[in-house]
Amino acid sequence: MSELDPTFAAEIVKYGATHFNACYNCGNCTAVCNLSEQHADFPRMFIRYGLIGQRNKIVDSQEIWLCYACGDCSETCPRQAYPGEYMAALRRYTIAHAEKTGLTKLLFTNNPLFIVITLIIALVLGFLLLTIEPEEVISRWLFTYIPYEVIHNLGIAVFILTGITTGLGIFALIKKLSGQRSSNPDKPTTSFSWSKTLMAIQKVGMEIAAMKRYQECDKEDDSLWKHRPWLIKPWFVHWSIMWGFIGLVVATVLDFIFKDPATVMWLPSRILGTVTGILLMYGTTLAMIYRIRKITKSYADSKLADWAFLIFLWVAGFTGFWLEIAVMSGEHELINQIVFFIHTVISMELIIFFAYSKFAHAVYRPLALYFYFKNREPVSAT
Amino acid sequence: MDKRIGVYICQCGSNISDWVDVEKVREVIREENGVVLARVTMFACADSAQKEIVADIQQEPLDAIVVASCSPKLHLYTFRSVAERGGLNPFNYVQVNIREQDSWAHSDQPTQATQKAIRLIRAGIAKVQQAEPLTPVMIPVDNTIAIHGAGVAGMRAALELADLGTTVYLIEKEHFVGGRVAQWGKMSVTNQTGEEIVTEMYRQVIQRPTIHLFTGARILSATGSIGKFTLKLKLIPRYLNPPCDAIGLKKAMEACPIVVDDEFNFNLTKRKAIFHNFKSEFPALPVIDMNACTRCGECLQFCTQIDLDQQEKIIDLQVGSILLTTGFNPYEPKPGEFGYREIPSVITLQQFKRLLELSKGEFRFGGKKINRVAFIYCVGSREVEGEHKYCARYCCTSAIHAALQLREEFHVPYIYHLTRGIRTYGKQEILYEQSSVAGDVYFQFVEDDPPNVEASGDHVKITIHDLLTANQEVSVTVDLLVLVTGMVPRENDELEQILKVPLGRDRFYNEVHPKLRPVETVLDGVFIAGCCQGPRNIHESVSSSLAAVSKIYSLLNKGEIQLEPTLAIVNPDTCEWCGKCVEGCPFDAIEKAETDKGFVARVIESNCKGCGMCTIYCPTEAIDIKGFTNQGIRSMIDAMAGD
Repeated sequence: MSELDPTFAAEIVKYGATHFNACYNCGNCTAVCNLSEQHADFPRMFIRYGLIGQRNKIVDSQEIWLCYACGDCSETCPRQAYPGEYMAALRRYTIAHAEKTGLTKLLFTNNPLFIVITLIIALVLGFLLLTIEPEEVISRWLFTYIPYEVIHNLGIAVFILTGITTGLGIFALIKKLSGQRSSNPDKPTTSFSWSKTLMAIQKVGMEIAAMKRYQECDKEDDSLWKHRPWLIKPWFVHWSIMWGFIGLVVATVLDFIFKDPATVMWLPSRILGTVTGILLMYGTTLAMIYRIRKITKSYADSKLADWAFLIFLWVAGFTGFWLEIAVMSGEHELINQIVFFIHTVISMELIIFFAYSKFAHAVYRPLALYFYFKNREPVSAT
Repeated sequence: MDKRIGVYICQCGSNISDWVDVEKVREVIREENGVVLARVTMFACADSAQKEIVADIQQEPLDAIVVASCSPKLHLYTFRSVAERGGLNPFNYVQVNIREQDSWAHSDQPTQATQKAIRLIRAGIAKVQQAEPLTPVMIPVDNTIAIHGAGVAGMRAALELADLGTTVYLIEKEHFVGGRVAQWGKMSVTNQTGEEIVTEMYRQVIQRPTIHLFTGARILSATGSIGKFTLKLKLIPRYLNPPCDAIGLKKAMEACPIVVDDEFNFNLTKRKAIFHNFKSEFPALPVIDMNACTRCGECLQFCTQIDLDQQEKIIDLQVGSILLTTGFNPYEPKPGEFGYREIPSVITLQQFKRLLELSKGEFRFGGKKINRVAFIYCVGSREVEGEHKYCARYCCTSAIHAALQLREEFHVPYIYHLTRGIRTYGKQEILYEQSSVAGDVYFQFVEDDPPNVEASGDHVKITIHDLLTANQEVSVTVDLLVLVTGMVPRENDELEQILKVPLGRDRFYNEVHPKLRPVETVLDGVFIAGCCQGPRNIHESVSSSLAAVSKIYSLLNKGEIQLEPTLAIVNPDTCEWCGKCVEGCPFDAIEKAETDKGFVARVIESNCKGCGMCTIYCPTEAIDIKGFTNQGIRSMIDAMAGD
């Protein structure tokens, strides 16, 4: 039995939910959602959890990560309770409350503070980059002001920092998402089985590779996307951003390993960087256009967290290409130095903020999907 | 003398002729005694066919007609008027039902259906042979009405009828008008208070010279029938002689040593034996409650107009019609039902509405400030097994409206609704949305699994299996629990016995037909409107009282009314006055009368419904129903059963 907590609803509002108490439980949202099913009952049930203050049901849930925010539910809601936006708010809430320092809570709920903290971290990184004296110097025009060695070491430090924060979080996350902490006694508890685990891993892999579940969204006949080419559909935009980013991280890591950032276009790490960079730019540009034009309900309600994430990715990608061209043409100008500075700082900030921002969904979603696939009852053919 | 009879056999398109061999029927019937003409028609009800029948009646000429077609429910009056147009008495026409009672019922046995049609028509012929010309009974009607219950429904009807020229006796059991509505505070959707509505209506009532208001009045007896009822009224005095000096009265009220529960505030507060419920209450004079008063005389020192020796009065009223607008009672929960009367912080919706009305600034109950309020809905309504199976209609809206007032005026932040499904039907739905957007939380339970209520210190702890959250158990702790109690019929046994008002299974007054005759009762001249008929809101109550006004006016304004002539008739030669028919009559339509040969039964035509119950009781067959005589029925049976 749980005691009703009337304060919780007000708390979720801080994370961007609006008007959700207008819900009168018709269940249209759940009915229209192509990803909601027998053992994954959302969004309506989660509005109930919010209204009666069942925090654990929300922060421990796999369901909120199954949603890709296509916005069908918000389009269908007869009471304008915006269930889609509400689910997004729950994800922000969950990310913020899994992170123990309290920093994420501040970042999500206080926009001015978000900007201030972002600027301070940028200044600190910039200060470090410009002032640390390297032990060895690679003399190339690009590294005149920010020595390569400094970027290298600071980058490793940034990765380690994020690795630690993420790693610490992941253990807690596994415990939560696997249902061990779940307050619902009806949830099926399954003993460990290799076949189920492998099947779940395979399915998560498939989802990351091809976004099969995301493609289920927007399949409604009256959906805006139904008759549009797949190249501009939301799932592909998401796929481009995700793979673009993963590719760039891999390329950067390769650069780090070889400790000599390539100046030649045809090195494998550079080709990878160029191709995935194009993907990232394509995806983020389209996503931003959709958000500016508020093309559907899911793009209409953008929060600072969404914008910051997209802008960071876009700027990182844009400055990356600028530098690639500048390096190829060997133009030693101050403007290129400034772009290089921005590129470095923003890329590092992206990594630092990983556990403290919308970016965290990149860990949450695959993990939630893994446990969801693993624990899901096999659906019988009847 | 045998009548010259014309028989018309209708094919009803093919509804009858598909299964009944109408030609064969015609051939057989043609040979029956008295039948001078038998025709088959495609549609007997068609204009051309009607004209043919009229022509036949005049040319043959015919004394009586039989139409074998559909149910008389459909076309009895059509063919009665055909007979009349042909120059016959309409009761020399008989309709035989060979569609609903034959062709449709026996579509699998056409041969037997044809046989049955023949026998049914034979019976019809036998009946029409016996038929006597009858003329409707005319009864004079007084253009006066007694309206019982001066609530919104009663006052509205009184105003309208007075404006239409009827003399109105408005009878109110209490000493103040307004009924239940006077007790309501702000109401949906206009936020007008009950007090305001009632005040405005009362002002209009006293401006009409043809409305005579009696307060503290009850009906002792009623005699007579439609057109002329005689009511005996008992009037309980106020024990005051107006005009009274206001300051003196105030002092007298302060001086009164008797303190009793104030029913107007549903016992939330106390009042004196000399009281009025609110400042502007009407009539704007206090009253002395003689059930509580000890005649100690304290008040007499301050107010000389108080007269404890006033006597009850008995008066007689003559009215043409009666309208009952006696209203409802709120359901009183059983002790222990959801903690009622066991936990101090559990009250009913009606008490809560009074509490809102009595509160200023802060919302307090039992001395403490209220921050969290829960409502449990359908208390005493929609009981599948219980006595109150119906939905009381107004309570969802009223409770949600009160909850919104609680939030807006008194800033109570946490409000919970434990419902069995919200029924804010029609335009009231907007309130429901407003309330949930404002932050009220709704739960749902089923009747079999009601919330559990227990005291938890100063608070009330409610546990519910919430249907909306997959039946999860959730508990809520609140400062005040409001039971959303519905409507039950008023306890008016006395009145019901005197007027013989028909009651439904739910014990609300019953109309003749819920859809088609919604404000009439089976008692001619007695009408019902408002909540005495069943749960409704003010809008619906007033609508029904206006419907009653139009029915009453169409009855009263003609000066006389026409009754069906198929009534009981006594043969004074064979009647031996045993009184059995009086016992059998459900409508008080038979009285004892003296003739030169002794006592006989006499039918009061205005009361008689022609039901025939008396004929069963009569040992000498001295009493008969015109148009359905014993002899006539026997000859029909003979004709039907014969070879």
